[in-house]
Amino acid sequence: MAAVIEVSQLRKAYGANVVLENVSVNVQEGEVMVVIGPSGSGKSTLLRCLNGLETAQSGDIRIEGRSLMDKATKLTDIRTEVGMVFQQFNLFPHLTVLDNITLSPIKVRKQNPEQAKAKAIELLGKVGLSEKAGAYPNSLSGGQSQRVAIARALAMEPKIMLFDEPTSALDPEMVGEVLAVMKQLAKEGMTMVVVTHEMGFAREVADRVVFMEQGGIVEMGSPADIFEQPKQERTRAFLSKVL
Amino acid sequence: MDFRFDIIIDYLPLLMKGTLYTIGISLAGIVIGSILGLIISLGKMSARWYFNYPASIYINFFRGTPLLVQIFLVYYGLVPFILDTTDAIIAAIVALALNAAAYTAEIYRAGIQSIDRGQSEAAYSLGMTHAQAMRLVILPQAIRRMVPAFSNEFITLIKDSSLVAVITAPEIMYWSKAMAAQYSRVWEPYLAAALIYFILTYVLGKVLSYVERKV
Repeated sequence: MAAVIEVSQLRKAYGANVVLENVSVNVQEGEVMVVIGPSGSGKSTLLRCLNGLETAQSGDIRIEGRSLMDKATKLTDIRTEVGMVFQQFNLFPHLTVLDNITLSPIKVRKQNPEQAKAKAIELLGKVGLSEKAGAYPNSLSGGQSQRVAIARALAMEPKIMLFDEPTSALDPEMVGEVLAVMKQLAKEGMTMVVVTHEMGFAREVADRVVFMEQGGIVEMGSPADIFEQPKQERTRAFLSKVL
Repeated sequence: MDFRFDIIIDYLPLLMKGTLYTIGISLAGIVIGSILGLIISLGKMSARWYFNYPASIYINFFRGTPLLVQIFLVYYGLVPFILDTTDAIIAAIVALALNAAAYTAEIYRAGIQSIDRGQSEAAYSLGMTHAQAMRLVILPQAIRRMVPAFSNEFITLIKDSSLVAVITAPEIMYWSKAMAAQYSRVWEPYLAAALIYFILTYVLGKVLSYVERKV
């Protein structure tokens, strides 16, 4: 198996405030990596570095071998391969659900509109929202919005999907429907990096769990290792608070 | 006091012609100013100093100096400098457009910056370039929020266009002054001008608030 994401000795700081320090981690093709940790631990920042929404000061990130720190690498090329789902959904409110999904395939991937539309309808079926194609985002519930956002990211046919606390802004009864879509995606072999507070999801779906605190990786391992026999005291302290 | 409607009737054809000029000059001013304003606002929001410095200076100059002074500068300075001769209508349009550009630039900036950062991040994460994100995601949303401010600016511009009478652009105020001089009257010419401006801005206000509801 090849590492599709390679992060080495990443460091990021806002002035004197260090948000990532000496972070190194690889993600293999088809792997589901779940990143957990207290707020402010740098896990969202790490995720946002992976598609260039944030830039690090030093270290390296390689996506399928191409370095994000290399000026010659076009970020737009990387981003068409790396889909991202945000905590706040970030659907485009002026476009229908269908147009949200087809916008980038048509404008960036230069797909023909009919083909993009067919693909979008297929994806909406997959996330269980076929009947919402013509709806505007403001008429959707949080859970529906997030499922559309997942479909929108998938429409670009990314090789990697990043999830930044995808269920944190949802009412509790809607968390399940979003996690179900993510589980399905994991089962299909998508390479995923998920920042979440859903420990149940981490335990069930993750191939590897990474625990971060204060800008660094404290410990990583299989869900069984991390949840049943954490080696670090800090990991244990965190888990005792959230479980 | 006797009010001489007959001299207004006398001057009505000229006032109507002046009204067309007022509409034309204002329309050209707002259209050219809006295009220029978009470019200036993008400059102002740029992280590169050689874009945002000139844009800031431009906006500060045109918002910080009287329009009348700008009109003189354009009529006696800028237009002769470029054309070797001057022309009241061209100068009027240029001065109003340059002035409106400064104000619309700030309207664009406020509108664009009012759109949540998550929107551009989502656009980037889908592989869009900065220009695509702006054109396909940010501006369509921002323009809706800008419409009320644009309406205000357009109405202000119509009223301000009366200033170009001083450089002999043959619009409403120019003919009112001519009428006042010819008959040595005060109330008729200027009340007539006031009424025409009021009708113009009132009708435009209604049209624009209809547009606001539509978008």
